[in-house]
Amino acid sequence: MDNLGLIFALSGAVLAALLAGIGSAIGVGMAGQAAAGVVTDDPSKFGKVLILQLLPGTQGIYGLLIAFLTLTQIGVLGGSPDISLAKGLLYFVACLPMAFVGLWSAIRQAQAAVSSIALVAKRPDQAGKAIIFPAMVETYAILALLISILCVTGLGGLNI
Amino acid sequence: MAILPMKRIHIYALLKDRKRIMEMLQRFGTVQIEDNLEEDEIFLKKDISGEKQKVERDLTLVSQALDILESHVPEPKSILDTLNGRRELSVEDFERLGSKQDDIRKMAEHIKDLDRTIAECKSEIHKINTQIEALSPWSSLDIPLQFQGTRSTCALTGTLPGELSLENILDKLADMLPDADEIHADIISSGKDQTHIFLLCPRHNASAVEGALRSMGFARPPVSSGNIIPAEQKTKLEAERAELERLSEKSKNEIIQHAEKRDELKFLYDWLTMRLERLENKKCLLESKYTFIIAGYIPQKEIQAVTSALSSRFLVYIELNDPGEDEDVPVLLENSKFSEPVEGVLRSFSYPGKGEIDPISIMSVFYYILFGLMLSDAAYGLLMTIGCGICLLKFKNMESGMRKTLRMFFFCGISTTFWGAMFGSWFGDVVTVVSSTFFNKTAAIKPIWFEPMRDPMRMLVFSMAMGIVHLFTGLGAKLYQCIRAKQYKDALYDAVFWYMLVGGLIIFALSTEKFVEILNLSFILPKSAGNAAAVIAAIAAIGIVLTSGRESRNWFKRILKGLYGLYNITGYMSDILSYSRLLALGLATGVIASVINQMGAMGGRSVAGAILFIVVFLAGHSINIGINLLGAYVHTNRLSFVEFFGKFYEGGGSEFTPLGVHTKYYKLREESNHG
Repeated sequence: MDNLGLIFALSGAVLAALLAGIGSAIGVGMAGQAAAGVVTDDPSKFGKVLILQLLPGTQGIYGLLIAFLTLTQIGVLGGSPDISLAKGLLYFVACLPMAFVGLWSAIRQAQAAVSSIALVAKRPDQAGKAIIFPAMVETYAILALLISILCVTGLGGLNI
Repeated sequence: MAILPMKRIHIYALLKDRKRIMEMLQRFGTVQIEDNLEEDEIFLKKDISGEKQKVERDLTLVSQALDILESHVPEPKSILDTLNGRRELSVEDFERLGSKQDDIRKMAEHIKDLDRTIAECKSEIHKINTQIEALSPWSSLDIPLQFQGTRSTCALTGTLPGELSLENILDKLADMLPDADEIHADIISSGKDQTHIFLLCPRHNASAVEGALRSMGFARPPVSSGNIIPAEQKTKLEAERAELERLSEKSKNEIIQHAEKRDELKFLYDWLTMRLERLENKKCLLESKYTFIIAGYIPQKEIQAVTSALSSRFLVYIELNDPGEDEDVPVLLENSKFSEPVEGVLRSFSYPGKGEIDPISIMSVFYYILFGLMLSDAAYGLLMTIGCGICLLKFKNMESGMRKTLRMFFFCGISTTFWGAMFGSWFGDVVTVVSSTFFNKTAAIKPIWFEPMRDPMRMLVFSMAMGIVHLFTGLGAKLYQCIRAKQYKDALYDAVFWYMLVGGLIIFALSTEKFVEILNLSFILPKSAGNAAAVIAAIAAIGIVLTSGRESRNWFKRILKGLYGLYNITGYMSDILSYSRLLALGLATGVIASVINQMGAMGGRSVAGAILFIVVFLAGHSINIGINLLGAYVHTNRLSFVEFFGKFYEGGGSEFTPLGVHTKYYKLREESNHG
């Protein structure tokens, strides 16, 4: 059980990719259904609704980013993975904002995106505004990403 | 640069010139006709619904004809078509084709008829095929299917379920009708599901025999062969089918021949679209017996061209005056080539409303900077710049909307390249990875400024500083708007106080050790400056509490509203924090790019490894550009709309939509002179 620290750190990394990825998959799927419905009626709106569909997809990428960052920091990708239990736990906690906020914000963002897609279907001229509503939700994913990045990079220099 | 000044225009002219005047105005495309004239007993509006319906019907006809041609002879399409823009057509060609419109319409009708013929043939052929199929089991029967029998015999032709032998049938019949004899039966053909039989019996017990057969599941054949034998009927049907096929083929060929005249149909489509637009505008005109009146808006700088052209050719009287104070004047923007591309983004928000400035020029500068900061990879930026640049140079005939979009991404690309170089990101860290994996060396492109990945706090501070500049510029625009409208008190209360409060708080924070320590700054402001700033902020806070609720007469209410107004300081906090997305998105681009490079390098130093690297590199970076381009676009819009516009801009103006040529396939060569 010497490697408990590594186990926690890796769990954190995996959780970030896992939960944020699940959130984005659900989100993009939901928005995709709505988008396909619009395109059935009017194929020319494809470009507009595609952008809206992609919006909840970013959380998965942020999750991947945090996971990758953690993996490089703890030395799983080339290096010697040897970290203390305390540090491992810290990495685990550092990944949590991205994991949970990623999961929930992607789903909530998708709900906003679905409504925006309906908006674009009825009033294509309002596409610019329609993008803003889901983008408001994304702010919180970005804030979580920020904290996770700052934590993970900051932990590298810590000596415990 | 600005919102163009507009004038109200009234044109009084003779009814006989109406068509030509409307056509001329349409070609100029600079007059927006308004429906704000009052009818009286002499001047009336004309009902155009009948005419409009006819034009709309023709438009549907032509577009159907074009669809039919497209389904038979698909037109080669490529991505370049969107870049090439519509084809040009000279005014002479336009008029020449216009005189042929009846012929072209007839051709469209003909194409539609041919298509209907093909469809009819198809359904007829389908029907015949079913009949032939139903007849084929009977082909060896040498009497007509509907043969009823002779005077003393009765013929029963039909099917029995299941595969039965002759003996089977006769046995069953004998069981059911023991006294019936003289039954003659033949099996014409039999399959697994059905047996086709022909049965002859004396007329006197025909009904008994038929009853017995029915109880065995007997059914008359579903087809008729008339009074000829099935084989002959089949040949006859086959001949009919061949005839139909020939007809269908002929119609098809004829349609294909018409494909070369597709351009004429496209022309007619445009011609009708223009006519429809004129009609839509015509219903706004007032007409008397011999004269008519047009009312509308015209940009000041176009007046000369329109009035001189009209008065030189027609007998007209033109009246111009300034729009009234409370009128909702349509907005037309004119900006430099550098700022103009962002107009599309502004349009998707809203055009400037009453008393607001055109925000394009300040907005565009920040738009490009923020976009660059979010994408922040020099190589991606170069790709964007070069790609858009080549398209802009190569396709001269591009539609103006497309041109603006490309120009916007061109400038965004330059900014991206700049920031990418500042932060040392070229396809992420591709130089480092390639040199260490394949050449065993350590090389790297040094950032001109610093690497955000290694020093995220510094980048965070920079992002927020950028945000403060952006927000204060927005507040400055508010100040300017108030001063321009001579509302000096509002300028003081809504802009200056906030400058003092937010600015004072920031300076005060920069003079405290704790804050400087958190942000990891290399400088600290002297205590005295901090104290002075705190006093200024306090004065501003009191000012805001006293003035925010100034529309309320009741002092108690006013102070409460004032306190709520002061609470808005949290809005500034969250606005500034919102700019942390510059860091997050910038890092996202860089980190994903490094992930791609590392994945590519997993093959190690070999030929296969190099191939893997190239494949992963191409696919990965294409995806990364796409995703981050979308992210940068969306979030730059958000920062502009929510944080920046939130300080001074509401919009709500209506766009200037002149009567013009809005065609789908061709553009008039003359059109280019007028926008």
